[in-house]
Amino acid sequence: MADERDILAGEYVLGTLSAAEREGVERLRAADAALDRAIVAWEKRLHPLTAAVHPVAPPARVWAAIDAATAPHQAASAIRAPRRPVTDATVALRKRVTFWRLSTFGTGLALAASLAAVVTVGPWFQPKATTQYVAVVNAGGELPALIVNVDTRAGQVSVRSVAAAAPSGKSLELWYIGAGQRPRSMGTMGSTGSVIRASTAGFGGFAPAEVVFAVTEEPPGGSPTGQPTGPVVYSGKLIPVPE
Amino acid sequence: MLSTGATDLAELLTATGAGDRQAFARLYSLAGPKLFGIVLRICRQRQMAEDVLQESFVKIWRFAASYRPEASPPLTWMAAVARNTAIDGMRRKTEVLFAVDEEGRSEAENIADPATLQPTDALDMRALHRCLDSLDVEQRSVVTLAYVDGYSREELADRFERPVGTIKTWLHRGLAKLKDCLGG
Repeated sequence: MADERDILAGEYVLGTLSAAEREGVERLRAADAALDRAIVAWEKRLHPLTAAVHPVAPPARVWAAIDAATAPHQAASAIRAPRRPVTDATVALRKRVTFWRLSTFGTGLALAASLAAVVTVGPWFQPKATTQYVAVVNAGGELPALIVNVDTRAGQVSVRSVAAAAPSGKSLELWYIGAGQRPRSMGTMGSTGSVIRASTAGFGGFAPAEVVFAVTEEPPGGSPTGQPTGPVVYSGKLIPVPE
Repeated sequence: MLSTGATDLAELLTATGAGDRQAFARLYSLAGPKLFGIVLRICRQRQMAEDVLQESFVKIWRFAASYRPEASPPLTWMAAVARNTAIDGMRRKTEVLFAVDEEGRSEAENIADPATLQPTDALDMRALHRCLDSLDVEQRSVVTLAYVDGYSREELADRFERPVGTIKTWLHRGLAKLKDCLGG
């Protein structure tokens, strides 16, 4: 029994328990001093592994948010400071943006498998010399809707739709969203298989790690305002392609 | 770069628990980058990592009064808060950014930054690495991938192309061997 508790504590500290199991442990340790001690013991045993991790300076806004959330006159609940000044549309899009992902339980999609080489190139944070980027724009694990290809050397962006389907009476519009910038329209998608080609000239200060592509439902012909008006149906981020 | 003796961090943490805002700010400047590095490895995605760091230090502010230096070194305690927050966030996500292989990462690259060590760390590091070496290679891999990179059981199963049950066995045996070796 003591061994089981200890293994539970060990897996908790490693981080391999599921969300439900973690919740259980967090409740249990408040009532079970032995479990609490076992957890602390594992924290101490494994902590030296963090020596391998390099410190990274956080952006100033993180401290600003912490300071604001912990200032004595504030209420108990944490307050989220806005990360950067953005338009309402951008905030709405960013809240619904989910990041590109492969199915984590196998790569049944031929497309996903062919992109596996892209996935396994690391590190996630940008190497210097990459000029080719890909975004697989999809919604929640289904077939990718769009493949966006960016070649910064040639200054070209091409977008190919694979499974995107506009609901009747609506268009799908593709947006390029740079960090802290308003969304920029790249045009409306036609039926499946259509391609948009654009130039990166208009992107200004291209920072690939921070770029998001999103597709929204708009009236036919696209947004009348020049900014997204409809819901986000697909989204994706750029990944560097090895050269 | 200021050196961070553990005494400093423990004192700062204790002062933070007493409501000292200056001590808290200094604690953040000393330990923030280290914790951010730890959290970035687990979260793999900057925006989430920043949110997690923020949430972690809010918790550190709130719970600093409960910190006992005799129970745990200060950075160990703080890193545990940060890691728990990061892992909680990762395990709650329904879709997770696929873990990216970090090519070319060798042991030689994993050099500790002296400014962020606790005085006990050198001995502890040697002991842990010696004991890790005594594990089977798969046991050692799953333990370090889980702890440092935040791999879930499913991601480990995917990476090693084994069922989750096998991964659990490797984890449990690895943990048991480590505990034994470290004299826990």
